[in-house]
Amino acid sequence: MMLKSKRNELLAAAVLMAPFVIIYGVLFVYPTLRMVQLSFTNAPLIGDGKFVGLDNFIRLSRDRLFSTAVWDTIYFVLLSVIPSTIFGLIIALGVNRLKGWVQSVVLACFFLPYILPVSLVYRIWAWMLDKDFGIAQYAIAPFNGGVNISIFRTIPLFMPAVGLITVWWLIGFNVLLFIAGLRNISKELYEASALDGAGRWVQFTHITWPLIWPVTVLVLTIQFILQLKIFDQVYLFSDGGRADATMVMVQYIYKQAFQQNHGGLGAAASLVLFLVIVIFSVLQFQLLKTRGGEK
Amino acid sequence: MIRGLLRTAAAATALLTISVFSAAQAADTLVWWDFLGGGDGVRMKALIDEFNKEHAGKIQIEATTLDWGTPFYTKVQTSTAVGQGPDIMTYHESRIPLGISTGSLSVITPEEMAASEIKASDFEPADWKAAQDADGKQYAIPLDIHSAILYYNKTLLKQAGLLGDDGKPKGFDGIANWDAALAKLTANGVSGLTFPTADNASTWRVFYTLLNQEDGVFFKDGKFLDGDNLDKATTAIAEMQKWVKNGWTPKQTEYAGSIAQFTSGKAAMMINGVWEVPTMVDLQKKGQLFDWGAIQIPTLYAHAATWADSHSFAIPDRKGNPLTPAKRKEVLDTIHWFNEHSLEWAGGGHLPAFNPVRDSDAFKNLKPNSDYASLAATAVFDPVTPLAGVASPVYDAAGNYAMPAVNGEMDPADAASQMRDDLQGQVQ
Repeated sequence: MMLKSKRNELLAAAVLMAPFVIIYGVLFVYPTLRMVQLSFTNAPLIGDGKFVGLDNFIRLSRDRLFSTAVWDTIYFVLLSVIPSTIFGLIIALGVNRLKGWVQSVVLACFFLPYILPVSLVYRIWAWMLDKDFGIAQYAIAPFNGGVNISIFRTIPLFMPAVGLITVWWLIGFNVLLFIAGLRNISKELYEASALDGAGRWVQFTHITWPLIWPVTVLVLTIQFILQLKIFDQVYLFSDGGRADATMVMVQYIYKQAFQQNHGGLGAAASLVLFLVIVIFSVLQFQLLKTRGGEK
Repeated sequence: MIRGLLRTAAAATALLTISVFSAAQAADTLVWWDFLGGGDGVRMKALIDEFNKEHAGKIQIEATTLDWGTPFYTKVQTSTAVGQGPDIMTYHESRIPLGISTGSLSVITPEEMAASEIKASDFEPADWKAAQDADGKQYAIPLDIHSAILYYNKTLLKQAGLLGDDGKPKGFDGIANWDAALAKLTANGVSGLTFPTADNASTWRVFYTLLNQEDGVFFKDGKFLDGDNLDKATTAIAEMQKWVKNGWTPKQTEYAGSIAQFTSGKAAMMINGVWEVPTMVDLQKKGQLFDWGAIQIPTLYAHAATWADSHSFAIPDRKGNPLTPAKRKEVLDTIHWFNEHSLEWAGGGHLPAFNPVRDSDAFKNLKPNSDYASLAATAVFDPVTPLAGVASPVYDAAGNYAMPAVNGEMDPADAASQMRDDLQGQVQ
């Protein structure tokens, strides 16, 4: 009797889960396995190729452009993830102190860029920073000896500029997450500590910071995974220029697979990126969690 | 209630019957893909409308415009591989080697061309050959020749004494004369010449023009810039660098910025594609532009040569779902119709590829097109390799090496040899 009901339960579970498992298998697991398989062949973008063992990975390790892409991706992650988390928290702390409709308006201002599509973000900034006719050049030129400078064609300025634009674009989402986290902190804690004579700074370091830490970990992890997959902004701003000097990993995959018809090599590069994201995000999450737990 | 429903059902059935009936009677549909945006897109739509009107009840073109460049060619490749795709599509001649290597293009036989009155003798030999593979098999029929030209501000040239009585620039041929003219035109905050120095494609067009004027060969027998061609490439890049270094050409100028420099009178001359002619024509119509003209890029080295490409028509090689012979005939007839009507297409600045139209009196009266039509005879098309053509690795290499050199960030000789090594490494 027991056994029968358990079997029934299992059957019901299987029936209920089947649609998800099948869709997940067909649309995610199978293509991923095929991608892994593809990375060991010399296949073009469409069609089959010959098995070439580890050739693609050896080629990647020797390709100067691929190492540029790896370093530029890491550089970009540093330029975007940490600032967008820190400034996200600072803005959230400020917005959280406002009340009523003023708070809504200010929050909307910070959130507005987030809803823009990347193509529009590109248009806005390319127009503002245009070397000859950009309005921002009035502010930039004095720092360059009074001469206009092409931000996106000057290689050392490229990544910091794209990083800044990305922070501006996406910070609204971080602010939102932080505000949700700040509202979860009980007001009584602040009142009690105020009675004990704690100042703002002490309140921040002993109440806000430890209690907001789980949200900070979440924001960092989301941003980290998102920015490792950076493509759109870098592609758009470097299009027509010295694209190789500022190449990032997804852009390299796109170039190999879609422009050069090297499906196998593109798959190999994708696999490397996939592993990098898995390893780093697991590591980062574990590391930040334990550090937070010690506090 | 029920009666109302029944009535609706009856009406729907009737409607369905009518539409099925009319579909059976309707004309053949030609599915058409192109990548033509902006003014070109508007012009092509007008031509398609004219075609559909003329062929009402027989053939109707159903056109879709897709994203230019890599997305277009990737979509063609992926759809033809699974037997999908259009009946007819536009294709850059410079990308035909890629189309052949990915199996996206179907061969057009001499018999088929003859049946639709398409003749090789109606096209410039270099243009016709650019649509073939090494064995001389035809993969596309050209519609136009589009190239880079020299736009000039007549007022500024006249002030500098560089305008002939015929309203055309005088004394530009040869490096010494050209450089002297640029130096003379650069004064009072006006630059002698602008071109998009922050754009890889524009840099490539000027570079390839100069290289070919020196008889340089960019790619041959599997080798990039072989032998003394490397020195010729260096010479071409060094010349372009000199324009920027001497302040004759503004550095790091974006595409739109370069046009604005010319149209606002801040640059006396501009090198850009023929497709910007409508921009000038429209501005002048509104009374917002000075007196201007356009000519073939002057001969700075051994002989005349200008970079060129063609918008052409091709038939996709849809795997397992090829076009029927009757449909292919229809497509080729359509292509021929568009060539016969390419005078309207020339309004976009392009030169008609079809000689009878380019030689017609109507075209000769079309200004400024006929002023630079001479470039067709000495036009040089992109190197024949899947690595060359619009949005290709060769264009990227021009952006990665030649462009920084032009802007003074790299030595011309280094740029040329790095460009060669990079591209050579991509040959498989």
